[in-house]
Amino acid sequence: MFSPELKKGSVEMLILALLETRPRHGYEIGKLIESRSGGRIKFALPSLYPALLRLENRGWIKGRWVEKAGERRRCFYRLTPAGRRTLAAKRATWKEYLAAVSSIMRPDHA
Amino acid sequence: MRDWEEYVRGHLALPDLTPGREERIVRELAGQLDEFFRDALARGLDEREAVAHACRQVPDWSDLAAQVREAERPNTRPYLERLSLRAERAVQTKGSRRTAVMHALNDVRYAVRRLRKNPGFTIVAALTLAIGIGANTAIFSALDSVLLRPAPIPGIARVAMVWETDRNSGTTREPASVPDYLDFLRMGKSFDTLAAFAGTEVNMAVPGGDPVRLAALSVSHEFLPLMGMKPVVGRTFYEAEDRVGGPGVVLISESLWTRYFGRDPAVAGRVLRLDEKPRTVIGVMPDTADFGILQILASAAYSRSFADRSARARVDVWEPLQPDPRTLPRDTHPIFLLGRLATAATVETARQEMSAIADELERAFRSNAGRGVFIERLEDVIFGPLRPPFFALLGAVALVLVAACINVAGLQLARGINREPEIAVRCALGARPGVLARQFLVEGLILTLLAAGVGVALAFAGIKALGALAPPDVPRLSSATIDVHVLALTAAVSVLVGLVFGMVPTLQAWRLDLQSALRGAGGSATSAPRRNRLRAVLVVAELALAVLLTVGAGLLLKSFWLLSRVDPGFRAAGVLKAEYQLPPGRYPVDFEVWPNFKEIHAFTNALLQRAQALPGVESAAIAGNHPLDPGFTNSFAVVGREAEAKTWPEISIRRATAGYFRTVGPPLVRGRLLLDSDTTAAPPVLLVNEAAAERFFPGRDPMGQQIAFWGARRTIVGIVANERFQGLAAAAPLAAYLPLAQAPSTNGAGVLLLRTGSDPLALVPSVRAAFRELDPALAVFGVEPLEDTVSKSVTQRRFVTLLLTLFAVLTLLLAVIGIQSILNYETRQRTREIGIRIALGAGREQILRRVVGRGFMLAGLGILIGSAGALGLARVLTALLFGIAPTDAGTFVAVATFIAALALAASYFPARRATRIDPTQALRSE
Repeated sequence: MFSPELKKGSVEMLILALLETRPRHGYEIGKLIESRSGGRIKFALPSLYPALLRLENRGWIKGRWVEKAGERRRCFYRLTPAGRRTLAAKRATWKEYLAAVSSIMRPDHA
Repeated sequence: MRDWEEYVRGHLALPDLTPGREERIVRELAGQLDEFFRDALARGLDEREAVAHACRQVPDWSDLAAQVREAERPNTRPYLERLSLRAERAVQTKGSRRTAVMHALNDVRYAVRRLRKNPGFTIVAALTLAIGIGANTAIFSALDSVLLRPAPIPGIARVAMVWETDRNSGTTREPASVPDYLDFLRMGKSFDTLAAFAGTEVNMAVPGGDPVRLAALSVSHEFLPLMGMKPVVGRTFYEAEDRVGGPGVVLISESLWTRYFGRDPAVAGRVLRLDEKPRTVIGVMPDTADFGILQILASAAYSRSFADRSARARVDVWEPLQPDPRTLPRDTHPIFLLGRLATAATVETARQEMSAIADELERAFRSNAGRGVFIERLEDVIFGPLRPPFFALLGAVALVLVAACINVAGLQLARGINREPEIAVRCALGARPGVLARQFLVEGLILTLLAAGVGVALAFAGIKALGALAPPDVPRLSSATIDVHVLALTAAVSVLVGLVFGMVPTLQAWRLDLQSALRGAGGSATSAPRRNRLRAVLVVAELALAVLLTVGAGLLLKSFWLLSRVDPGFRAAGVLKAEYQLPPGRYPVDFEVWPNFKEIHAFTNALLQRAQALPGVESAAIAGNHPLDPGFTNSFAVVGREAEAKTWPEISIRRATAGYFRTVGPPLVRGRLLLDSDTTAAPPVLLVNEAAAERFFPGRDPMGQQIAFWGARRTIVGIVANERFQGLAAAAPLAAYLPLAQAPSTNGAGVLLLRTGSDPLALVPSVRAAFRELDPALAVFGVEPLEDTVSKSVTQRRFVTLLLTLFAVLTLLLAVIGIQSILNYETRQRTREIGIRIALGAGREQILRRVVGRGFMLAGLGILIGSAGALGLARVLTALLFGIAPTDAGTFVAVATFIAALALAASYFPARRATRIDPTQALRSE
């Protein structure tokens, strides 16, 4: 529903945010984005996966193969300390950005 | 259960990553796809739909690959390390090998796609190369068949012809006399075996049909063993059969055996009727057994027999020579000698020994005055005359291929410039030069292999045409095919050419200036001068080649035209000829009563009467030889000048009825023609031609002079104009004309000549009927309009002229296309510059002049270089030229003008396009 340009800037931030509480694997991340946004934000595999790789190569997340009993091997990603710092920074930036845009978008009285 | 890893590996090419990383990414993606798959299953879709659902998650694998590569850039290794990694991986598990195969297939797919996207380039380039490759394949195939395949004569290097020579007439390839042959056998040691043969023709009776005329060889018993020819059935001749009075045995050819005997394995012992005499067949010779005979006979000064018929002759009958020195004394020369060198001898020592023997014979016998010997290797006799034209052809066709390659290289260069932006972007994105090079090579190879396919098909058709049109004295040409060697050579040439073309864009890409390329085509105001020069050099080279071939073709065409305007001295139009040979059985030839051969004269008169009475016949004549039959020569002495006559050359003897001159013959110059009243009983007379009058009676009057030969003194009663019966290109021979009634053929041979006002072919049925009425057992052959005979006599010349003209046209075409494309291309490159000029006020004419001027300059250079080359190389054609020198100025000037005009025309369209450039568009296209 939202244009690709809008989504492009935020995918990395969203991934980092979702990994804040606990490690997750790639498929799970995609499904979670979809469900938490009420179906309004969907990332296809070709957009999501490269983003994961980029984040990993920048050292903000780290992937690890985990084999749970009775299930296939999955690569779980978790935040690194650098990743947490980046997430905090991005969050702050995002808040400021939202505030700035809102103040411009407010209808004019006077 | 689907193997997702296999699926991912099959679609995702990540050659630049370390194996570990690639492995991990593949696994992970596979895992994700698997999740989608299971999800779909859980939602209730069946397996097929679930698989489709999973696959839909990645609609564009190359895009994903690009993104992954981009994301993984920090993980990629330096160039050399990557190369070695790839080499390692090439020997690993099947997954990696599959990647290599995938790469190769991708390259091919990519190349095909690129070629299809530019159909113009692909078609022109492929056709151009196809022509070059096809022509080369065809000629090489012919060369292979004719010259390179080993001759069917074992040890041919040690076999040589022993010709006799005549100092007085200056000939070097004459037949020998029987007594000379026997003396050589007795006195010579240089040869292990010395055999003799003579060409002849015989009539074979065909039960239930018209008799047929066959080419035959009379051979001494050593001949077939010397040539290494073994019979397919039966045996060859015994020595006892080769003696005078020996049995009438013959060998037949395989073709004859198949055609008339049904390949009967018990053919030995069956009887044929040849020239009305029964002959017993003792064996069958393979069709290759007459290899080289035609060439030997054709190079002889006379007694060429069936080799003079310009049709493909196969020897169908072999009979024993049975040489009789009493009936064939030392002053007649009917046989050709051929020997196999003794182990210790060489051609040189043989020449010395045989010359010494010939000198002895000359001293001992008056009839051998002026006669020597000439030993020539058989290989040289058979293949010698073929080598120069063949190698000239090979040279010409190689030049056509070079021209084709130059053209395609030019096209490639032009296209390459257009691809600079694409290549630059790919380089910037991380594509390694190796990958690009590999793709270009594959593209070049595919283009060339495609062209080669078409070329071989063209060559196939070409070979068939060559075989059909070729002169009959080129051995084995009609059996030329495209065999394994030729295909292998073609493949090698194609691969080489393809690699060369692959290199062109690669070299270009390597020297790329990234910045200007990214700015777009025409990034600089003018193209790099170095690249321009290369293209210009290519076009000039092409033009030079075109000039070279066109001059050659021009010289040959002019020769041909001059030849056609030669006055042959006889009139062939509207004349029909029919040849026959009266068998001595029913038409006896008794030298005691010569020239009173009653039966022969009766036949001649009866035939003439009937022929003259046929409707449509204006006049008729019977002669010993028709105007294109060189006949034979004889020595010649004027009564009272016998001493002088010892050094005279021999004179050609022509015998004819009075109607000959009306029907075909040369016009009268002085005195009178032959008359019907010059019968056997009348006083012996003869005519001489102008050439003979000048040679033997310089400054004197030949009229009334007497010539002594053949047992009578004959008076010269007239002089006629010269007839070129030794071929149009040769000088008119010295000739004497005798009345047929006073000098009948000793072998019964004759030719009927009929002049008609309409089509000669219409007379054929009535002529055959006339013969049949007189003698149903007589074989009539060579029935054709005399014009056809004339045409056949220039077959070889015509053949080479046609071929060379074809090549010249092809090369010219290529050169014109070359000029056009280079000028077009340069105009497009300089769009901006030209636009500026126009904007600054340059007139249309100025622009035109610049472009056309450039075209002219290129053409001028090409013409100069080509003409220089032609001056040097045209000498190769001297043997085929008639009436002009290889440096004929007229031809050179004509060719130069013609090509300059073509260049002008070719430059016109690009020039016009240049003037139509809209300056605002041009400036904006930056």
